Amino acid sequence: MTTLSRPIPVVLRPTTPRRSRSWRLLGYLALAAASAGVLLPFYWMVMSSLKTNNDVFTLPVEWIAADPVWSNYADIWAKSDMTTWLGNTVLLSATVTFLQVFTGSFAAYGFAKIRFPGRDALFLAYIGTLAVPWQSYMVPQFVMMSKLQLTDTLWSIVALQAFGALGVFMMKQFYETVPDELLDAARIDGMSEYGIYRRIMLPLSAPALASLALITLVTTWNDYLGPLLYLRSPDLWTIQLGLKSFISQYNAEHALIMTGSVLSVLPIVVIFLAGQRYFVEGIATTGLKG
Amino acid sequence: MKRSLAAVTAFLLAVTGCGSGGDAEDSGPITLTLAGWSLATTPEFKTLADGFRGTHPDITIELKEYDANNYDTQMTADLAAGKAPDVYVQKNLKNFYTYQHGKQLADVSDVAAKLGSSVGGLAPYQVDGKTWAIPYRSDSWVLFYNKALFDKAGVEHPDGTWTWERYSAAAKELTTKLKASGSKALGTYQHTWQSTAQGFALAQTAGAELPSGNFGYLKPYYETALGLQTAGAQVSFGDATTNSLTYQAQFGKQQAAMMPMGTWYIATLLSQQAKGDADSFAWGIAPAPQLTTSATPVTFADPTGFGINPKSSERKIAAAKDFLAYAAGPDAAKALAGIGVTPADNASAVDTILALEGAPNDEVSRLAYTKHDTKPENPVSEYTAPLQNVLKDLHTAIMSGSKPIDAAITEAQDRAESEVLSK
Amino acid sequence: MSAARARWRTTAVGLSFLLPNFLGFLILTLVPVVLLFYYGFTEWDVFGGATWSGLDNFRRMWGDASFWTALGNTGYYAVFHIPLTLAVSLGLALLLNRKLRGVGFFRTVAFFPYITSVVAIAQIWNMLFSPGFGPVNEVLRWLGVANPPGWTTSADASMPAVILVGTWRDMGYYMLLFLAGLQTIPGQLYEAARVDGANAWQRFRAVTLPGLRPTTFFITVLLTIGSFKVFDLILVMTDGGPGQSTLVLSQYIYKKGFQENEFGYASAVSIVLFAICFLVTVVQFVVNKRGSS
Repeated sequence: MTTLSRPIPVVLRPTTPRRSRSWRLLGYLALAAASAGVLLPFYWMVMSSLKTNNDVFTLPVEWIAADPVWSNYADIWAKSDMTTWLGNTVLLSATVTFLQVFTGSFAAYGFAKIRFPGRDALFLAYIGTLAVPWQSYMVPQFVMMSKLQLTDTLWSIVALQAFGALGVFMMKQFYETVPDELLDAARIDGMSEYGIYRRIMLPLSAPALASLALITLVTTWNDYLGPLLYLRSPDLWTIQLGLKSFISQYNAEHALIMTGSVLSVLPIVVIFLAGQRYFVEGIATTGLKG
Repeated sequence: MKRSLAAVTAFLLAVTGCGSGGDAEDSGPITLTLAGWSLATTPEFKTLADGFRGTHPDITIELKEYDANNYDTQMTADLAAGKAPDVYVQKNLKNFYTYQHGKQLADVSDVAAKLGSSVGGLAPYQVDGKTWAIPYRSDSWVLFYNKALFDKAGVEHPDGTWTWERYSAAAKELTTKLKASGSKALGTYQHTWQSTAQGFALAQTAGAELPSGNFGYLKPYYETALGLQTAGAQVSFGDATTNSLTYQAQFGKQQAAMMPMGTWYIATLLSQQAKGDADSFAWGIAPAPQLTTSATPVTFADPTGFGINPKSSERKIAAAKDFLAYAAGPDAAKALAGIGVTPADNASAVDTILALEGAPNDEVSRLAYTKHDTKPENPVSEYTAPLQNVLKDLHTAIMSGSKPIDAAITEAQDRAESEVLSK
Repeated sequence: MSAARARWRTTAVGLSFLLPNFLGFLILTLVPVVLLFYYGFTEWDVFGGATWSGLDNFRRMWGDASFWTALGNTGYYAVFHIPLTLAVSLGLALLLNRKLRGVGFFRTVAFFPYITSVVAIAQIWNMLFSPGFGPVNEVLRWLGVANPPGWTTSADASMPAVILVGTWRDMGYYMLLFLAGLQTIPGQLYEAARVDGANAWQRFRAVTLPGLRPTTFFITVLLTIGSFKVFDLILVMTDGGPGQSTLVLSQYIYKKGFQENEFGYASAVSIVLFAICFLVTVVQFVVNKRGSS
């Protein structure tokens, strides 16, 4: 903790000019080195995506693809049904993210700011289900979904992902940091609870909503077991399911596994780059008296 | 709160109560659903469906695609929800007990009674005097070897009578001589699966039985495997697992001169050589090395069979039985052999399969393909799946050098006794 | 309006907020989870009806050495993974919560491991950890370590290897949550502290930590549950091996259920896993309540 706290005043307050430039340079160098370390596996992934299948895992490791096989990217696009998978995944990710963020933050407001009997017990039930491993109840859940005629439809994945406890828990924690006085003032002004939620809470919670949205999006995008169990028709497959079954068809095509992994990561990177700008100091706190 | 809960419960009960509608028609064309996996690259299901349609124009077979690696997980969920296809594959024997004991297989004894005697792999599917599935493929483990590398090293080709001792000596000799001639290839490659040691041990050792809970029979096989590893005649287990080495690349890219593997690899190797994914070289198959020389080489592998979903209508079950009989018969055997798949009826396939472009057709290869006593890898019993899991831990512990052989065997025996057999 | 009516009204409004989420949650999660609690007391092969067996499953668990191994390994993973990830992700969040050129890039880099598919992660790290040829051990040898560990292929070093990769993978996720939490701390508090002459460490202690309390609580609970339930990473990295050195409870549950078809017993083990997570969570709740009041 001590080492981490040291650079804080320097960069937070660029008004101390003497030390700041060299510190800043050092900081950047450290960040760049750490980034290189974190990105190394991804570098290897990209390199492998440019090799032939039987050259990916060799002894010793080859760090540079001597003869890049760009055709892997064309191959995976031509041989597989990538456009369908991407379309399904985008549709699912968008729907699930919207529902999770909306219903989650809506319910969280009820849990955080309205007192009613049974509230805490109900909340504990939410948290409790987080503590149960999915693989132990996935069969009863599957049978249930099947009774509702949802299996082998995209709705099954929406139903599976959209109402989880995570969003509720997260937003509730966030709402609790908003002072009650602010809401009481609004109530006295005659605003209804729904109005408070929409006009005060939602705008205030932009960073939390953004992180919940990003996390839900990534989870839905990368989910493999859910689609594996629920989506059987090839025209419903998501990108993860499609890629994995494409790969398992072409026994041991490791270069293509990496090609697919690179392709499935890229859209998320773009979205993340766009979404992370909501984490800027000040957005949430404007208009709030601590 | 209470009232809304009651309403939801009522709603749930209502949906739970509604069953799936049965099919009323009892004449005219009929459609059967059949489970398969990786349909684009596993042509056997389509081959069988098309071949069957030739003789039964009224019955259409519709293929349902499953994931190759998670087939049993998906099938378990489908069966539990009553959504499984009419005919489904028993991918290996490990899960057969689950389906049979869970009453998810229809009795097909009448189909079995009419099968020819040359159909292999039927016995494991017989429980309590009834037959619950019909095999259509029956592979067996053999020794693949790279003729070109053997010649380069000047080592004699396997003659069909090799023991494990002779095989290890050859692997070590190959490694030394290949290195001397400037080749990177090692003598042999035993893949990371537990079956490469345990499958042979169980099949070849007299009196060895899985449910006995006595695993002393594994010792000589692990001594051989570790010996090869220490001598550098084979990639170490740790390097093979961490680098996700594939057996297809090890043999196909000439990294190893020999490789014990199942006959399913014939089709893969042929197609990889044709496409250029594997090098072009002359290869052959020899009978699996033996513990002691025997007239009929003893080896192992699980058959692959079809079972019928008992929840299908009576009429569909009758049609499905026709399909099972066809799939195990000589016509299907020839059709399967034509695409490189080893059918249950081995004898009627050898001329087709070894005549494929690029396949070996020498005496030893023919002998290896036709003459063998193939024991199941997973003898059917309620203890098989948990015992194989115990033995899998033993395999990784021994091969990674985490535990000496004797200690690992003792621990596995203790676990088998207390966690599995005493239930 | 009478007090009773007012209370009823508040309850109705409160419930109306919960309803959209709760309906989905009830049918799709709560009901199957409650069923699981029933199945834990039965013998069940997933296809047919379950036979009530009372406490048999729990008695069996008591004498099941593999269960205890899995429990021990899960604890081992959690004890190291939780504080390590908490420290790293909080550090990252503090470092990247400022107006810094290229901060978006660095945040993305930190989040990268989390969005990469776990299969690719496992393959890459296993390769890096490869005992004979892997870069990690090449570096260690270069640094003069004579016998570098076998990492995922040795019984002693496999768990540390998995913990390291687990932290590497999760740090971006929790960093994101911390970043969101940091935005809730009013800037005026820092200003006031500065005016009072507090140095960076004092401001961290006096402003940042208390301000982050709800976030830290949320993250600790999530991280605890996530660590106790760790599954896919271990499945693809070591599959529990070598031997049983990285066998964890979730994987044991999957094995017993889907591979050995003992869904009743698997459910019972899940109940124990649930109870542990729940107990730890309740303790965290109490500590958090006491701390905030």
